[in-house]
Amino acid sequence: MSGLGPLTSRELKKWYRNPVSLLTGLIQPFFWLALFGSAFSKISAFGPTLLDGAPNYITYILGGVLTIIGLFTALFSGVNLIFDRRLGVLGRFLIAPIRRSSIVFSKIFASSARILVQVGILILAALLIPNGLEFKHGFTVLDALILIAAVMLVALIFTSIFTTLAVRITRPDTIFGVINLVNLPLLFVSYAMFPPGLMAGWLSDAAKYNPVSWSAEAIRTVVINGTLTASQMHSVGVWLGGLAILATILLLMAYFVSENEIRE
Amino acid sequence: MAAIIETRNLTKIYGGKVKALDDLNISIEEGEVYGLLGPNGAGKTTTINLLVTRIAPTSGTAIVNGFDIVKNSLEVRKSIGVVPQDLTTDEDLSGFENLKMVSQFYDVPAEEAKERIHKLLSMVSLDDVKDRLVRQYSGGMRKRLELIAGLVHDPKILFLDEPTLGLDVTTRTQMWKYVREIQEKLDVTIILTSHYLEEVDALANRISIIDHGKVLATGTSEELKSNLKGDIILATMKTDKDAETLMKYPGAIEAKENGPRAVRLKVQNSDEELPKIIQYISGNSLSITRLTVQKPTLDDVFLEYTGSEIRSEEPTDSRQEMMNLRRLRR
Repeated sequence: MSGLGPLTSRELKKWYRNPVSLLTGLIQPFFWLALFGSAFSKISAFGPTLLDGAPNYITYILGGVLTIIGLFTALFSGVNLIFDRRLGVLGRFLIAPIRRSSIVFSKIFASSARILVQVGILILAALLIPNGLEFKHGFTVLDALILIAAVMLVALIFTSIFTTLAVRITRPDTIFGVINLVNLPLLFVSYAMFPPGLMAGWLSDAAKYNPVSWSAEAIRTVVINGTLTASQMHSVGVWLGGLAILATILLLMAYFVSENEIRE
Repeated sequence: MAAIIETRNLTKIYGGKVKALDDLNISIEEGEVYGLLGPNGAGKTTTINLLVTRIAPTSGTAIVNGFDIVKNSLEVRKSIGVVPQDLTTDEDLSGFENLKMVSQFYDVPAEEAKERIHKLLSMVSLDDVKDRLVRQYSGGMRKRLELIAGLVHDPKILFLDEPTLGLDVTTRTQMWKYVREIQEKLDVTIILTSHYLEEVDALANRISIIDHGKVLATGTSEELKSNLKGDIILATMKTDKDAETLMKYPGAIEAKENGPRAVRLKVQNSDEELPKIIQYISGNSLSITRLTVQKPTLDDVFLEYTGSEIRSEEPTDSRQEMMNLRRLRR
């Protein structure tokens, strides 16, 4: 009765059947690492203290790049809903005896699945490139779970927001405008790319409240340290907890808005 | 026969002032093809949208297949199939995948769905292209796919909202053939709206003419036309004298000269009157050179009731319309 299964499988089919999106998805992680890794590599000169003990900058920014990849894909999660409305497909869903929320949640889940694939490719890419990712202190199953949880929570937070917006937006350019407005602030007012020590005071203060920072810091902590100390574990717990609370609230919002407000 | 759809003072007011539907009371019987005919903004699509639970009524209600559209919309949706005015199939999926997805929306068991989809595809001659992406379909093929997309869950009622809008004449006639075949083979009740009079005339058993949200007349095409009281019979005679004699034909409501030796007779029903006229002609040994029967068309009926000729439908949503036409043209 829910329609979630067939709708999510439709989204994924549309994604993996598009050779361009598949190819760009494969190339993008290498671009990101190569560009960010080289552009900001001078930061390494400030020494390992500034990089929280990371052996190189790639290892340091991995948490940031993973989070940003999740964020950017999530920002576009509502676009397909707007096109479904424009192309008339939404009309077919709305006359079917399915839950209205399944239309929106299919986009949320499909985007999350895409993000998961991108995360896998990016980690592989980071390990493959020269002077890339190094797990100096090992990488446990728990670390992997924390890493995935952090990216997934960021994905759920932003897919919820942007699919909910798309519930009532009828023009693609409107949502593109919103995406352009928020993507760079979310990226730069966060600890995704730079250590707090290199940021202006006010920026660093603001970045503390950005969920992008929470995810980036949580991943960074497990990637650099491997096995965590009690205090590190506490910090990671706080970050993930914050992400989980935010994700829950926003998923509930997406549910209620889509059940009641979605129309052609 | 029992009514499968019954509206009870169904009313829809948009934005607190525009009365799109005004205390509508119609009853549609099981197994019939029922046509809703009306000028632009008459309330046809509003009626359909209410009956398929796409929008909620301001007051009143309707019973569809035993379920109340207000209280039990989910059950209503399960028992109906809809072919909306707009194209609703996904271009990035194949024809088969589209139908498969729709069958999943209605929880049709996989095996049953497969069998049914194949049957429907062959009914509208799409089995050869079922695995092709819908973006590669022609306009006519897409419309046929839309038609059967409303049927994969074996609904008791099928709503067709302007099923041939934007199609060329040949494709339109072909669509009619498929609609008739569906009605016969699948035993569904069909509710059809159209602004093509000949389409309603060709497909519907019973027609309601609506305007300003109210039903003006209901009946079979024949009933509506005979209500107009009068077919026209035109006859050209060999001599003036013969023409004069024919003018005195007793069964005519009205007889007029219609050019040299030509007579125009208005009769109640030409089918019944024509043999009598022929008898009258031979009984009086008249010589006739030409005999024509002019039946009133649905256009005349429409004109009579609404006071206007049917206008070509201005799309309410021109952006959507352009997009549909653009895609159909491929």
